[in-house]
Amino acid sequence: MSLLDGLRHRLRVFVQQRSYDREIDEELRFHLSLEAMQQQHAGRGILSPQDARDRARRRFGNPTYHKEETRHMSGLDFVDMARQDVRFALRTLRRTPGFTAVAILTLALGIGANTAIFSAVDAMLLRQLPYREPDRLMLVSLTVAARHGEPAHDNDWSYLKANAFRDAQRDYTDLALSSGESVTLRLGQATREHAEVVDEHYLPTLGIHPFLGRNFLSDENLPNGKRSVLVSYAFWQGRLNADPTVLGRTLDIEGAPYTVIGVMPTGFRGLTGQGDFWMTIGARRPYMFEPNEAWDHEFTMVARLATGISARRARSDAALLGTRVNYAFPSDGTPGWGATARPLDGARVDPIVRRSLLVLLGAVGFVLLVACANLANLFLVRASTRQREIAVRLAIGASRRRLVRQLLTESVVLSTLGAVASVGVAWWGAHLLSTLSPERALGPHRLAGLGAVNFSTIRLDWRGLAFAGTVAVMTGLLFGLVPALQATRPSLTDALKEGSAEPPVRGGLFRRLTTRNCLVVLELALALVLLAGSGVMIRSFAKLTGVDPGFDARRVLTLRMNSPAHGNATDSLPALYQSLLASLRALPGVESVALGDCPPLAGGCNSTVIWLGGRAKEITGKEPQIGVHWVTPDWFKVMRVPLFAGRVFTDADGRGARKALLVNATAARRLWPNESPIGKIVGIGMGGFDTAYVVGVVGDVRFHTIDSVPAFDAYVSYYQAPRPSAIVYLRTVADPTTLARPARSLIGDLVPAAPVYDVRTLASRVDDASAQAQFSSVLLALFAASALVLAAVGVYGVVAFGVKQRTREIGIRVALGAEQSEVLRLIVRQGVRLALTGVGLGLLAAFAATRALGALLFDVAPSDPLTFGIVAALLGLAALTASWIPARRAARLDPSTALRD
Amino acid sequence: MARDEGRNEKEELLKGTLDMLILQTLTLQSMHGYAIAQHIERLSGDVLTVEQGSLYPALERLQKKGWVTSKWGPSPTGRRARYYTLTPAGRRQLGAEITSFDRVLAAIQRILERA
Repeated sequence: MSLLDGLRHRLRVFVQQRSYDREIDEELRFHLSLEAMQQQHAGRGILSPQDARDRARRRFGNPTYHKEETRHMSGLDFVDMARQDVRFALRTLRRTPGFTAVAILTLALGIGANTAIFSAVDAMLLRQLPYREPDRLMLVSLTVAARHGEPAHDNDWSYLKANAFRDAQRDYTDLALSSGESVTLRLGQATREHAEVVDEHYLPTLGIHPFLGRNFLSDENLPNGKRSVLVSYAFWQGRLNADPTVLGRTLDIEGAPYTVIGVMPTGFRGLTGQGDFWMTIGARRPYMFEPNEAWDHEFTMVARLATGISARRARSDAALLGTRVNYAFPSDGTPGWGATARPLDGARVDPIVRRSLLVLLGAVGFVLLVACANLANLFLVRASTRQREIAVRLAIGASRRRLVRQLLTESVVLSTLGAVASVGVAWWGAHLLSTLSPERALGPHRLAGLGAVNFSTIRLDWRGLAFAGTVAVMTGLLFGLVPALQATRPSLTDALKEGSAEPPVRGGLFRRLTTRNCLVVLELALALVLLAGSGVMIRSFAKLTGVDPGFDARRVLTLRMNSPAHGNATDSLPALYQSLLASLRALPGVESVALGDCPPLAGGCNSTVIWLGGRAKEITGKEPQIGVHWVTPDWFKVMRVPLFAGRVFTDADGRGARKALLVNATAARRLWPNESPIGKIVGIGMGGFDTAYVVGVVGDVRFHTIDSVPAFDAYVSYYQAPRPSAIVYLRTVADPTTLARPARSLIGDLVPAAPVYDVRTLASRVDDASAQAQFSSVLLALFAASALVLAAVGVYGVVAFGVKQRTREIGIRVALGAEQSEVLRLIVRQGVRLALTGVGLGLLAAFAATRALGALLFDVAPSDPLTFGIVAALLGLAALTASWIPARRAARLDPSTALRD
Repeated sequence: MARDEGRNEKEELLKGTLDMLILQTLTLQSMHGYAIAQHIERLSGDVLTVEQGSLYPALERLQKKGWVTSKWGPSPTGRRARYYTLTPAGRRQLGAEITSFDRVLAAIQRILERA
């Protein structure tokens, strides 16, 4: 391997520069001493040792020369030169501390912001999933075709359908089912913990081996089989004190004893990315094995491709099989259902999140480009003041290459310093991004059960640092190259020949000014693209927050609770809830209180089919889909949801009374056009409501996402169809957060076994619904603002420099009687020309660039004319102001001083 | 640059042949720089001289190309010396150089014979 040997040699020379240099000396000395011995030997002792050495030296030639030749060959002189250049660059930079500080600060911010965003992109999009051969893992989903205004979407699997699929498929070596849930753990006091309900194929499919203990056995996944649990490494360390004898110990989960059979490896938190426990479907959800639960879709399916099967093949096979599986379950053999398979890696992050991350990375890159253009301009100005130095060096024989290299070293040194300073910015930025709670940042678009990779995994590591280093070098070359080439143009020697203190006005200078103008135009155009992008994002965000969610979120506190009821014990729930609500209502500061089962804007609640006229024997697939929500009578009062017709629930709508339903306005209008729904008989596929009466029509509430239009919704009463899980809604007189503690302890006293968790205001839930949009628009706005400032500084720099160059000319003009306003116009015109060109180009680029935002926007066109107009005006104004300042200075020029200098 | 008196009677190496001669010399065994120079001169019957100083840049070049590697080791006199070894790639290169050298030599001979 000649290449390898050669590389190894070069690497050695580079790494051990000093010792290699010494070795060359030693080698030459050795050679000379042998030659001297030889000469002495040949001279048969007549020669004195000194003569012998001299002869040897003569035969050898000039050792210094040969040493230099050898060093040149080995590349050592190159390293020397680089070191010299760096030292020289540092000296030069130290001479202009103001310039250096501004440049380093700009670079630190630019590179730091880039690195932070890169860390996010790296953690969420680039880094491999932490499973064995992750590129062979597929996410297999059931698919539901679009109907009744509901878009086509992916769905989870029921256990039976998944099993049917497993039996029929030939593309995978392993298929795993999992479903996230929160469970009550009693270890000391009751707490809510994240768990994953999985089958015995889960770990083998992902290729994970327990750190301690073993995987589930297949008989542990039988309905009501042995209760076994695997715990996370973090849980074992933190809550079980890393107990080495943990295997065989039992944990009280949801009131039942589970035997610990293993500990997961470090860092493994399952497909949900937050799991601390893993339990089997058979133990936790035995009902899923019942034949009539084929349409309770709860499980995510991840499958490992067999060798030789392509993702595309798996996809088409899944479509075929999915249809067949759905026909095998005639009770819900609804047409339009199928299945699809796609690589898990691509599915791990929601497309909206993916897109916004990429948009942000692009935007922050733009900011760095603008900063580069600015620095290049600064360097050009500096180079013009150093012209004489450069001209002298060129004249005394320095090669242009050498000078360019030296100037480039200067810019790379500068950008490296910037990169070092940027580590702080990057670390802080990455930290900031990671503290966004995953649920908040990923928003309601998150795929069920696939938060494996999320914001919480963002951190600054060597990959980020390597990125920062690369960006720094590229940046240094980028903003250094043009000035370096310009400054060392051979025509510059004219500056020396003419012996003039001022640089020549025609030729060189004119061309240089053009370069500088180009850079500023580029800056302005880039800044405009960023401004336009952030402008439409902000408008979209404003529209999003302006959407009426259908309820009043102010002064409402929400608490989640789970009552410890199992099976038939739900009979006692209505009484329990009634007394609970009465006690809560009695708390000082509480205006009204109610229960609901699914928070609004949460990305989805229960939904089922609705039959007009009562439940049909068979599902045809033509039935409309309707959301089902459990509430207590006061819920509409607490949420301030208006009643349009009929009545809301009363306490009388209990177990024995006839089944009552409320529908929302959209359902009322579309299901019973031109007639009143009050008193109509319907059936819904949930909660035993085969025959129910519509008793009222209430306003639309956005349960799904803030940007989706309300669909059909129905409400049932907790008192008529009890559920163990509930969200307590407290409308308060003043600040709702002050009630968190008393409400919590009251529930704790009344229902001791019920954990209360996720306590927060309803307003914060609403905020979360637009958190993703807010996150992107705030960051984009920040980037755009930086670009705007940088561009303004750039315009100022160019115009001010122009004024400086034309001082003499302006002096003459004023002396000849030019008015102040004329001079002002003369100078500002330069700025205006730059601004117009930059804005024009920027608008063209923005039309193309903002299209990438399309999917992120709500109710705003990517090239919204109003936004474009405003940002163009804003940028123009900034450019005008930036050129106004030097122009005023020029207009006030005293001609006598101007001409004297 | 100081020159040896006997220099004029000896022939300077043809351009580009130094590398080939070094590689050829190293086919025998690993050697240090001085020994390589000695070997070439002695084998040429003292007709060819290696300008000793230019030997080391050449060795550096050969290392960079990966045809030769070097290692420090004790010399017979007990001092440390850098020993150069031919790599398999160097051996292949030598073959190629000899072939092309032979072709050039033959061509020159043909011209001389016809002239």
